[in-house]
Amino acid sequence: MKILTLFSLFVTYSSGNSINIEENVGQFFSSGHTNNWAVLVCTSRFWFNYRHVANTLSVYRSVKRLGIPDSHIVLMLADDMACNHRNPKPATVFSHKNMELNVYGDDVEVDYRGYEVTVENFLRVLTGRLPPSTPRSKRLLSDDRSNILIYLTGHGGNGFLKFQDSEEISNVELADAFEQMWQKRRYNELLFIIDTCQGASMYERFYSPNLMALASSQVGEDSLSHQPDLAIGVHLMDRYTFYLLEFLEDIHPASKSNMNDLFKVCPKSQCVSTPGHRTDLFLRDPGSVLITDFFGSVRKIEITMETINLTDPIQQVELSPVYEELQIEKYSYADQLPVSEIIHQKPKQRDWHPPDGFILGLWTLILLVFFKTYGMKHLKHIF
Amino acid sequence: MAAPLTLLLIVAVTIRAALYRSSLADLISERVEVVSPLTAWKRVVEGLALLDLGVSPYSGDVFHETPLIIYLFHFLVDYAEITFMLADVITAVALYLTVKEYNKQVFRKQKFALEADRYPLDCLELIRSPKEMFYIPLKVAMFYLLNPFTILSCVAKSTCGLNNAVLSLFILSTVKGNVLLSAIFLSLATYQSIYPLTLCASALLYLMQRQYIPVNFRRASFWWFIVQYAFMYLGSLFVIVCLSFFLLGSWDFLPSVYGFILSVPDLTPNIGLFWYFFAEMFEHFRLFFLCVFQINVFFYTIPLSIKLKEHPVFLIFMQLAVISIFKSYPTVGDIALYMAFLPVWSHLHRFLRNIFLVCCVLLTCSALFPVLWHLWIYAGSANSNFYYAITLLFNVAQILLVSDYFYAFLRREHHLCYGLYLKRKDGSEATLVLK
Repeated sequence: MKILTLFSLFVTYSSGNSINIEENVGQFFSSGHTNNWAVLVCTSRFWFNYRHVANTLSVYRSVKRLGIPDSHIVLMLADDMACNHRNPKPATVFSHKNMELNVYGDDVEVDYRGYEVTVENFLRVLTGRLPPSTPRSKRLLSDDRSNILIYLTGHGGNGFLKFQDSEEISNVELADAFEQMWQKRRYNELLFIIDTCQGASMYERFYSPNLMALASSQVGEDSLSHQPDLAIGVHLMDRYTFYLLEFLEDIHPASKSNMNDLFKVCPKSQCVSTPGHRTDLFLRDPGSVLITDFFGSVRKIEITMETINLTDPIQQVELSPVYEELQIEKYSYADQLPVSEIIHQKPKQRDWHPPDGFILGLWTLILLVFFKTYGMKHLKHIF
Repeated sequence: MAAPLTLLLIVAVTIRAALYRSSLADLISERVEVVSPLTAWKRVVEGLALLDLGVSPYSGDVFHETPLIIYLFHFLVDYAEITFMLADVITAVALYLTVKEYNKQVFRKQKFALEADRYPLDCLELIRSPKEMFYIPLKVAMFYLLNPFTILSCVAKSTCGLNNAVLSLFILSTVKGNVLLSAIFLSLATYQSIYPLTLCASALLYLMQRQYIPVNFRRASFWWFIVQYAFMYLGSLFVIVCLSFFLLGSWDFLPSVYGFILSVPDLTPNIGLFWYFFAEMFEHFRLFFLCVFQINVFFYTIPLSIKLKEHPVFLIFMQLAVISIFKSYPTVGDIALYMAFLPVWSHLHRFLRNIFLVCCVLLTCSALFPVLWHLWIYAGSANSNFYYAITLLFNVAQILLVSDYFYAFLRREHHLCYGLYLKRKDGSEATLVLK
């Protein structure tokens, strides 16, 4: 469908050079992603964790502003701060930008709220294993051409993130969920941002390709919050997300800032903790990855006046592999469930049989013992 | 005696067959007191199914029995009920023959001692007569076959029944004096669960005494016999382990069977002592306590052998009891085996002190096991502490039973040496006190 849409946008240039468009088409389609998704999770409840909700809503605001629609955002907030009875300014959630930015406007769509934000639901959203009755707004309907942004915030520790004050998700579980996503071709590239204490421990177990991760603090460090707001009475944001929001406010859909700028957000002088990042699993060079590849929903559009024949298979341009050991394979639709095998499965006959040598050896031994015990004179009675 | 024995066998088989056909069979085969992760029939079927799918049966934590069981049940899985009933019958017949042979020995020794005038005059009432000993073998077979524990274990198709059969054949061959068969059956029993290793000492003692080899460390014949027996035992064990390797083509039965028994990873509640402790132990203490608990099983061998040097069959009984109580995954089938021996020592009844208490506790605990399990797992109004309390009490009662018989046995021996009515030097009556 998308190919047809793009195809209809092509208008041919009348330019002097006769560019062979068909050669460039392969390069156009090999650029990577065609759609963007975001999964933004706030895992802590209670009034004093206001800042985590504000963190998540700030990232939500930026992501929505840069073009990702609500249908492609899964927003999980573990508690309702705007309508919390302790909120002196109801129906608002302020972030720290000038203490005036209300990130809870009237177009915030929360998909998982309150007690629905659990480890199980989070993992089910990521892996797609939801019951058939789940509405579309609660599903991550990504495919192998999606770039996904995952943002987690809350209270964490070395190797875990606390959900709702009663359960935890470990870094191993998260890494396995991402591997499931990779094997089910649910993402093209994934950016994982976490703003918790000892956040770097959450990405140290990743092993799937095309993952880039950022964390607000290293193992053994705590992520600190920004100043409290005296009118509301709680800390409004965490430092890392505050500076991240400040950075993102300068990004617009056409900006060409890349990931290296993102890694420089919130140095130790501002954040007190040392932010970390991990790019070894990512195939492209971070310097060539645009911020809007993850935070925005930017379609690659090229206007041309020529007609293009798309009946021939597109030759994919060989990307120079960043790591030789990672093989870039042509993506094909991975059969989720081998239905044909299941339907036509016949009941198996008992296949295994003890090896003949074993049976021979065992019975020889038994006979030997028998004759040793009872004497050879019995032999003549048997034969 | 063949006719009553046959009648008993028919009755036992009928009871088991009736229970197999009833709806209780499924219920019983799920009870944790009757089946353990080692012996459950469900796991044997899983192992065979895995093998048919082309996967090693030891993959995953499902099957923990030995490859020879796979071989046996590959052909007999449709006749499993008959196999287990046959195992029980074999055990009972083996015990019957054992006790008959043992009684002959006891009586012979007693006759020699009487002729040698070794008994003081007032302990003649302790002497056993053939008339009272006539029905003991039948009673032993009855105790084994009609014991509710055995019936439960058979109906649940727990492989403990096969282990019991091998052990009773071992005891039979030992008592008959056949060194080779004794070593082979003992290695089969050890191959299935490691703990019968401790029965080596008692078998050696018995066989040496039967062949009139003096049990003296300084004699060469003693060591030569030990070397022979050890060679036969270890050789057959080695042969069986290698055969198991050739059956499945891999060594992964070693960690699954022996590693499982020794390192107790599965903490399903059972009637033993391991699960509760290890459920709440810190990781860094686990190895230490594992060693302590496992050594506890093997530890009693040497002191008991030294004390019961003259009475190896009683030593076998004590060892079986110690194994059944302290092994890592006991079931009621193990208990049934040593309880079958109790009629052999029925002449000790005048010296037993705690039998009433022990009987009451054992009966109560057996009744309370399913009750507290239901309360814990299904009703949710109790917790594991309740079930473990009953487990502890049950094991304490067993230990009390065994130590009571031990006391009574030693006391009878003491009286046979020094007279029944003890007198102090001045002639006044004295009593014997266990300090």
